[in-house]
Amino acid sequence: MKRQRRHALRQSGWAWLWMTLGSLYFLIPLLATFLFSLRGKKGVLGFTAYAKVFADPQFLQTFAFSFRMALLTIVVGLALILPTMIWVHLRATWAKPILETCSLIPFVIPPIVLVFGLIRMYGVLSFTLVSSPFLLVAGYVVLAFPYIYRAVDAGLRAIDLKGLTEAAQSLGAGWGTILFRVLLPNLRISLLSAVFLTFSIVIGELTLAVMLAWPAFGPYMALVGRDLAFEPAALAILSFLLTWGLIGLIQFASRSLAGQGSALGGTH
Amino acid sequence: MAFLELKNLVKRFGATTVVDDFNLDIQEGEFMSFLGGSGCGKTTTLRMVAGFETPSEGSIRIAGVEVASVPPNQRGVGMVFQNYALFPNMTVRRNIAFGLKVTGWKAAETERRVDEMLELIHMGEFGERYPHQMSGGQQQRVALARALAPRPKILLLDEPLSALDAKIRGRLREEIRAIQRQTGITTVYVTHDQEEALSLSDRIVVMRAGKIEQVGTPFEIYNRPANAFVASFIGTLNVLDAMVMDSAQGRLLVSGQEVVAAGPVPAGRAVKLSLRPEMLSLEHHPHHENRLRGTLSNVIFLGSIVRLVVGTTDQDLVLDTFNTPRLALPPLGAPVSVGFPREACLVVE
Repeated sequence: MKRQRRHALRQSGWAWLWMTLGSLYFLIPLLATFLFSLRGKKGVLGFTAYAKVFADPQFLQTFAFSFRMALLTIVVGLALILPTMIWVHLRATWAKPILETCSLIPFVIPPIVLVFGLIRMYGVLSFTLVSSPFLLVAGYVVLAFPYIYRAVDAGLRAIDLKGLTEAAQSLGAGWGTILFRVLLPNLRISLLSAVFLTFSIVIGELTLAVMLAWPAFGPYMALVGRDLAFEPAALAILSFLLTWGLIGLIQFASRSLAGQGSALGGTH
Repeated sequence: MAFLELKNLVKRFGATTVVDDFNLDIQEGEFMSFLGGSGCGKTTTLRMVAGFETPSEGSIRIAGVEVASVPPNQRGVGMVFQNYALFPNMTVRRNIAFGLKVTGWKAAETERRVDEMLELIHMGEFGERYPHQMSGGQQQRVALARALAPRPKILLLDEPLSALDAKIRGRLREEIRAIQRQTGITTVYVTHDQEEALSLSDRIVVMRAGKIEQVGTPFEIYNRPANAFVASFIGTLNVLDAMVMDSAQGRLLVSGQEVVAAGPVPAGRAVKLSLRPEMLSLEHHPHHENRLRGTLSNVIFLGSIVRLVVGTTDQDLVLDTFNTPRLALPPLGAPVSVGFPREACLVVE
């Protein structure tokens, strides 16, 4: 009995130690960045750097541009990937490994290669295509594909896709009704995480925006980082807060939806 | 004319033929069960009727109309699934109303019909619950109400009780039959459970390897099985090796002892003699013309029934007897004599 208790105590002691070490590894640089960002004015700790960031019109302009691009990427990405994945899960399960492999390609091919590929490919066709923001969105969709794929895949696995679809069909529903009234409401959580992940990728993306010459938030951050000292730290903290805010929102949404009775784990 | 006609139905998946030349007529209001082991093609046939599988060959007619190429959402066929498939994001009421809304019922009529359905399944107070707040049995009753709400021409049930525990299964089985009688809907029920098929159906289709082995009433299937497969699939059965002594007079030799069947038996030397356990008895009855001697080798207590195993010189046979207060069994190893009437003998080659 005594030995058991000592064993349990030792176990939890180790758990705490590793957790503390892990947290410190993560928190110390963050804290250092935060403290550094507060030194905008010599000799005093304050939010001067933050005030400067917000006062810069480029901050808002570039953020607004990237925000719009993120929304477009989400719409195009989901419109393209969601029906494809539902179809593959339902009718073409043989294509799952192909889709899985495709979803890994953006991790393997660096964005710089992707963007030169895009320019070469579409530059030959017409100049307007390269200079249109749709090429940027298309690139972003490729970058976001692995994240959307994984989020939607997890959602589709969690519900009885075949059963729900067939039940709805036998009750007289067409594909539109099945998608919007049966499947989407039951995939809400995974779609939300796909949306937020896409959002955070696009907001911070640098390579595509620089190479295609768009005034996006990523290049702005890089520029500020190169030219200024305290503002980049403030920006880093701001984007960190934004990302964590979004993750918190996913958590909150999943909990409140679960409480509403929207079962997330299938039909049993 | 039959209400549901399946003609020369064939379904192939690649090189495998899952349903092979399936022909069946189902009358309006009939309760028909497809019974068979896993992989016999019963579910595939049902799914072809529902429209979820397209037949490789053959025709499906509902009320005289060919539907083989009609999409499932336009067939007017209600379906109940093994795993309920209720919409998790909708309450019971909204689940039941779903089929009515998508087929354009007016709001007031929909509400009335949903109330009617909730009453039919005795779940009036559960209207605002979500599927995950109910037990499996309750979910399946809602699934049944949801399938029946839009007044489908045919109701299809794909092993609806398989996921439930024994007690609820029995109760829900009776409820399904009562609701079917009340609504008079033509029903096709897929099951691998012979007890379910026997207790529910007007007629049963016994299937094996994509083919029909026998179609008949539960009584016919049980008492006059068409072949050895049906005989062994339905109920417990003793299958004994026998030699024909006189084919015209039905005289056989079983474990060195003579047995006489009710009619002529197939000619040939070796045949199989099938005997239902409940037709056999250790007691002497005047109409038990046949007797097989052996020793009592095992007694299995099954509750209301006691199953005895009697060993002859070279084969075992089981017999069932009711567990009555007067039941007096000989000790294990005692010599016994098993009696049965000539009519109990089912002889197959």
